[in-house]
Amino acid sequence: MALRAFRGSALLWPLSRRLRQIMLTSLAAVGLAVSAGACTSSSSTSSAPASSASGKVGGSLTVWVDSVRLPVAQAYAKAHPNVHVRIVTFDGDGNGATTMQTKIQLWNRTGSGWPDVIFSEQVNDPVWMAKPPFNFAAPIKGLIPQSILSQWPSPSTTQCTINGTQYCLQDNLAQVVLWYNKKLMTQFGYTVPTTWQQWAAIGQKVATQHPGYIIGTSGESFSHWIYFWGNQCPLEKLQGSQLLINTSDTHCTEMASLLTPLIKNGTVPPLSVFTPDFAKKYGGANDKVLMMPGPSWYAQAVFQATLHIPAGQITAAMPLQWKNETPVTTGQVGGGPWIISRHSKNLATAADFVQWATTVFNPPGANARPGYPAYEPLANTWLKALSANPYFAADPTPAMKAAASLIWSGWNLVTYPDQPVWSNTVVTQLVAGKSLSSLMPAFGHALSQAAQAAGYQVSQ
Amino acid sequence: MSSPALTSAPVEATRPRGLHGAPVRGRRTGAGVSFILPYLPFLIGFGIAPMIYALVLAFTTSSGGWAGAGNFTRTFKDYRFLPAFEHILLYTGVWLGTLIVFVVGLALLLHGRANRVSTGFRFLFYLPGALAGAAAVLVWLFMLDPAVSPFSFLEHNVFGVQLFVQSIAPGKLPFVFAMIAFWTGAGGWIVVMYGALNTIPHELDEAARIDGAGPFTIAFRLKLPLIRKWIAYMLILSFATGTQLFIEPQLVNEASLGLVPDTWSSNQLAYQLAFRYGDFNAAAAITVDLLVIGLLAAVLIVTRTGLFRREG
Amino acid sequence: MRIAARGLRLVILAAFAVFFVIPIGWLILAPTKADGALVTSSPFSFGSFHQVVLAWDHLDAFSDHIYRIWIGNSLLYSFSATAIVLATAIPAGYGLALGNFPGRRVVLTLTLVVMIMPAAALVLPIFLELNALHLIGSVLSVILPFSFFPFGVYLAYLYYATAIPRDLLDAARVDGAGEWQTFRRIALPLAKPIVALVFFFSFVADWNNFFLPYAVLADSSQYPIQVGLSNLLSSTPSFNPAQGGGGQQVNIFRPELALATLLAVIPVAIVFLLSQRALVRGMLGGAVKQ
Repeated sequence: MALRAFRGSALLWPLSRRLRQIMLTSLAAVGLAVSAGACTSSSSTSSAPASSASGKVGGSLTVWVDSVRLPVAQAYAKAHPNVHVRIVTFDGDGNGATTMQTKIQLWNRTGSGWPDVIFSEQVNDPVWMAKPPFNFAAPIKGLIPQSILSQWPSPSTTQCTINGTQYCLQDNLAQVVLWYNKKLMTQFGYTVPTTWQQWAAIGQKVATQHPGYIIGTSGESFSHWIYFWGNQCPLEKLQGSQLLINTSDTHCTEMASLLTPLIKNGTVPPLSVFTPDFAKKYGGANDKVLMMPGPSWYAQAVFQATLHIPAGQITAAMPLQWKNETPVTTGQVGGGPWIISRHSKNLATAADFVQWATTVFNPPGANARPGYPAYEPLANTWLKALSANPYFAADPTPAMKAAASLIWSGWNLVTYPDQPVWSNTVVTQLVAGKSLSSLMPAFGHALSQAAQAAGYQVSQ
Repeated sequence: MSSPALTSAPVEATRPRGLHGAPVRGRRTGAGVSFILPYLPFLIGFGIAPMIYALVLAFTTSSGGWAGAGNFTRTFKDYRFLPAFEHILLYTGVWLGTLIVFVVGLALLLHGRANRVSTGFRFLFYLPGALAGAAAVLVWLFMLDPAVSPFSFLEHNVFGVQLFVQSIAPGKLPFVFAMIAFWTGAGGWIVVMYGALNTIPHELDEAARIDGAGPFTIAFRLKLPLIRKWIAYMLILSFATGTQLFIEPQLVNEASLGLVPDTWSSNQLAYQLAFRYGDFNAAAAITVDLLVIGLLAAVLIVTRTGLFRREG
Repeated sequence: MRIAARGLRLVILAAFAVFFVIPIGWLILAPTKADGALVTSSPFSFGSFHQVVLAWDHLDAFSDHIYRIWIGNSLLYSFSATAIVLATAIPAGYGLALGNFPGRRVVLTLTLVVMIMPAAALVLPIFLELNALHLIGSVLSVILPFSFFPFGVYLAYLYYATAIPRDLLDAARVDGAGEWQTFRRIALPLAKPIVALVFFFSFVADWNNFFLPYAVLADSSQYPIQVGLSNLLSSTPSFNPAQGGGGQQVNIFRPELALATLLAVIPVAIVFLLSQRALVRGMLGGAVKQ
């Protein structure tokens, strides 16, 4: 940049001319060698001809996955040597990133470059991928047999259905359950709560009796899905052509009032489990996580792999109930969809990949898939392995299984990500010490702005 | 787009002088247009045409019709527009402040006793310049995390920051970004200022010292006014790049798991408008806004410092 | 009083030196430690060389050796574009300084105007232009815009305006030498300092450029290293642990990121060092006194 100009130092490095020449030519040689190598490796394709939608599995396939789904893609490539799989790791649109939107726009504009399969961590990605101007997602129906498709739970299929056509396949279900540390709960003499009120009461006790222990977090980019979605707070409710965003609804205000003192007394800190700070403070030897409402995929991925909570302590209980209201509803955190590109020149293989990833891939032991499979037969196998897993203090699977059908259907998927709104408007202010109840109006306002910018009509 | 005074003046001020001080004009060899022919396609294709195209985009609709001020009002009403501009104006203000105070100050300090020590310090200040853009931000992501940072003592005790999320709290961001920009850019500008200070004839220095002026007086009353032009150049160029901030907030957005929005700076907003919504007209409007601000600042700085006034 | 002032001066300079240098020191030492050790041990402790090798293995294994590809891309873009810049800017600077043709002042003024304008403002229109030319997706979409470097032209212009000895010019005129003959006889032999200068600025600018490649390149295997670093940051657990697990299999944590940053900086550092003499001599038109 011209701006980095005017550089110069009066310090003379007396490198001889010859030495400088050698360095320059070797640099150039290395550069040419590496770029030449790059050219050949990235353009190699298998000699099998590309297949059509009804063709056979083979040819080349480009798959975009996040780092967690990388093992799936690698395993597929290994199990299918006749397919040349090119794997690209990206951020998975995590935490509400708009990476895929910018990429697809770019590919659409240039008319080439689309991958065959994408995995997204954002459940709402297929919603805009199926619509203009993106028009990226391919309908699943013709690509995968109905006998297989029918074995997804209907809420999961509904989430992938936009305007009557199914455009994606969910990789896993992400129902929110109550994770708790059985050993610590027994040690402290607390009963496992069944309602939010009991949970909050324990939080108050913990703050005085066992300061430093936590019963949840509020700093995730998806904390609102855990607490507000589960409690039927209307923040993303489609009513015909209108989107209802109402933070003054009692479901919202009551949950906010419940959480505010807990955030204040430190038992539900505004931190994220995924930050190294959190693991250092509450994980490992410190072992300060008493309870944590969270999705089913927290099981091994968070408690074991990220936080290193010792074995024999963690298990799951049923999602919390609000007072004595029925039915019990819970939230959902993810459940990433697999999307096939309608521009793919190898639809058969793309469909085969997605089918294999959702119905077959199930390694044992430490490399187990982190999420509760959405495909029911595979879910049963996975649950069986999980219940036998000695890491847990008790079998967490009954709670997870029951919670799968309790996800509140009043929270609809929209074309814009709401995670950044929660992070920017609420979490930053919670870190600064503001109370959650006071932040709800601003949160609702910011959500409305994001919705309107995305073209929705907002009603309160 | 720019006033004639502004564009011809720099040519005037730096009119090349030959070895013997005589103007070059009388010495032209008659070299013809063929020398600039290889350069012209690039100048037009990647310099002039995009400038004009940006203007055209800003004033037209996506179907090519005349939009008047439509794109400008539309982007102005976007809920992310004002916060983004607040952010970058505050950031630019802080950064220019650090340039004026610390860069000029350090250059004066170094020049006060020009010797090997001063040379050594200049080199050390200059080192971070090798890390620019993404590399510098990555380094500072580590520096801002009290868990691993060598500055953790300062962060805990002086700034009251225990966690990374506190380092990047919204109120702190303009200062954090200004600090990163200062870290990478100061060294180069210090060298420029130092070189500018070297153009001051020794006799003036000597005379002042004989008159009994102390080091502070010499620095502030004698040297500083004489390098006014260079300071003005630095401010103008830095203002323009400051408002174009993109990479720092973009990387912090990724590293903070979304706590810092991806439309924190105006350029990020322009990028999102162009590449996420496909609205290049709106993005061009924001670009033109930034250019106009840069030009206004340049005019302001030029008039306040009398940059193009001829020395008496 | 003088001693106190001198002492104060040293303290201030030393404090700033610490600020500038410590992060670099940390960066050099970070790859020698494992991720946990980065947190628990002192920032300036040395870990082990073995750890550096491990970190490199992890980094290299990411996404099929894409890190090497990214470095290769940066080298390709920077060298190619700089070669084009040298081929176009040196003659252009000469022509603008010593030429006598209509439009000379216009071209010079335009160059200055565009120079002052930050490049980021032009990226979006350039993207649309490149798309219209069907260049998006090819390496030319990066190399060609990089090859426009008005600052290089301006430097060459300043240089040739001041560096040509009068007698040489007069001799050439007397001989009746043609334009390009004069150029070859006079300008080329004197070109070495300005070539080194323009090479330096152009290479560094190209190597550090982020926004243009970020906007126009959709294929991550074409990224230069700067954009690659941001891709690394967002795709790996250190700063973006994905939902659904920690992505532990990817193995890119803080030491690997530090190593990636360090290696990305080395080529520019080498060019810095190699260009020192030319910079000193060519700087500020002789204003820098030794």
